[in-house]
Amino acid sequence: MPEFLDVLTSRKSIRRYNPDPIPDEMLDKILEAARWAPTGENYQPWRFIVVRDQETRNKIGDLSRQGSGSRMTAWYCLNELQQRFEGIEDPVKRAEVLEFMYSGRVSEFCKQAPVVIAVIGDLRVGSVDVPYDLCAAIENMLLQAHSMGLGACWVHGPVASTRDAKRFKEILGIPTGMGDYKVISFIAFGYPKEQRKHPRPKLPLKEMVYWEKFGNKERI
Amino acid sequence: MDSIKYCNELLSRLETLAYHELSGMIHWKCEYVGVDFIRAKQIVGKNVNEIVTNCCKAITEGGIANEITYKLGPDGVMLKLKIKGCIHHPKEVQTRAEGIAPYLCPVANMVLDQIHEKLKYTTSYLTKLAIDSDNKQCLVYMALYETASKIGQVSDWLADDEDADFVRNQPSQILAAEDRKKQ
Repeated sequence: MPEFLDVLTSRKSIRRYNPDPIPDEMLDKILEAARWAPTGENYQPWRFIVVRDQETRNKIGDLSRQGSGSRMTAWYCLNELQQRFEGIEDPVKRAEVLEFMYSGRVSEFCKQAPVVIAVIGDLRVGSVDVPYDLCAAIENMLLQAHSMGLGACWVHGPVASTRDAKRFKEILGIPTGMGDYKVISFIAFGYPKEQRKHPRPKLPLKEMVYWEKFGNKERI
Repeated sequence: MDSIKYCNELLSRLETLAYHELSGMIHWKCEYVGVDFIRAKQIVGKNVNEIVTNCCKAITEGGIANEITYKLGPDGVMLKLKIKGCIHHPKEVQTRAEGIAPYLCPVANMVLDQIHEKLKYTTSYLTKLAIDSDNKQCLVYMALYETASKIGQVSDWLADDEDADFVRNQPSQILAAEDRKKQ
């Protein structure tokens, strides 16, 4: 059995998938992992919509592309997106990356994912922790998927704006009242088509951990 | 009681609290703030110019701002508003005093809402809200996407912009870390 920390540190967001379907047994384990996430006062406000239908995934993919592309096009036109990626020295490569971003294609990968799960929260159950509980459930799902050799990526972008969130709800038939359900994300799942490279560099603990009081980096 | 001052104090507190709760993500979640006023005005128009002109007229006649001018980019993607004498300007000043770049502009939301409602645009994005306290004006840059094919249609919005130097030095939604370094 692998060390749990090895599972954690080897996970990365996967955005390219093989078309092979995900067996129901694996899907059930992913959903079961979500069910056991920590939740304030055990309210369990999360609800999940499992989407396999290609047409629906295309609609979600289009909405995702639209959300990211609309923002990144504007940032590019103000010369801000370019500054974010000025670390890429090869100008041809940089231009390709920028086009990939501002076109919105960076976010439409759920069209190729065999399964997409929308994560929504029931705002009517009385919980005061809905978004936090949902994020914990999402992390459980990502780790469970990774531990079984699946790739996954969770995306908030297509539901980030209030207008887009309403469109997302309409695609999936979710009640659109502001007091009904909070749609926080979807997660795309599939067998990875891309190699899992070494995890992206992370800040060392000494830059994020304080001891006893804010700012104290010395272990006491 | 000064009801406008009271209203701005409420708005600024909400803007500050919401930013603290959601960080920059809140920029994308306030687009309906202000729309009730403009929806009650029965704005008409067959294109962006007419809609924006009629919105600005309703907003100034309603006493929300003294003067609004606008510029539409040649490709129809960029919409820039210059808003002078806005009753919400003190709200922007108060929010900025809390160390938060203001992101909630009811006037911009009104204009975008009517472009969506009346012209059925695919999407839009408010990307820059630059507060010019010295001149008591705001510069607002928005992207309009009539269809999905307009997304990715890029150009340099500041190339011939009279306010380019000022705008370049204003906080960015995505370059916060770099902005802090400059400070």
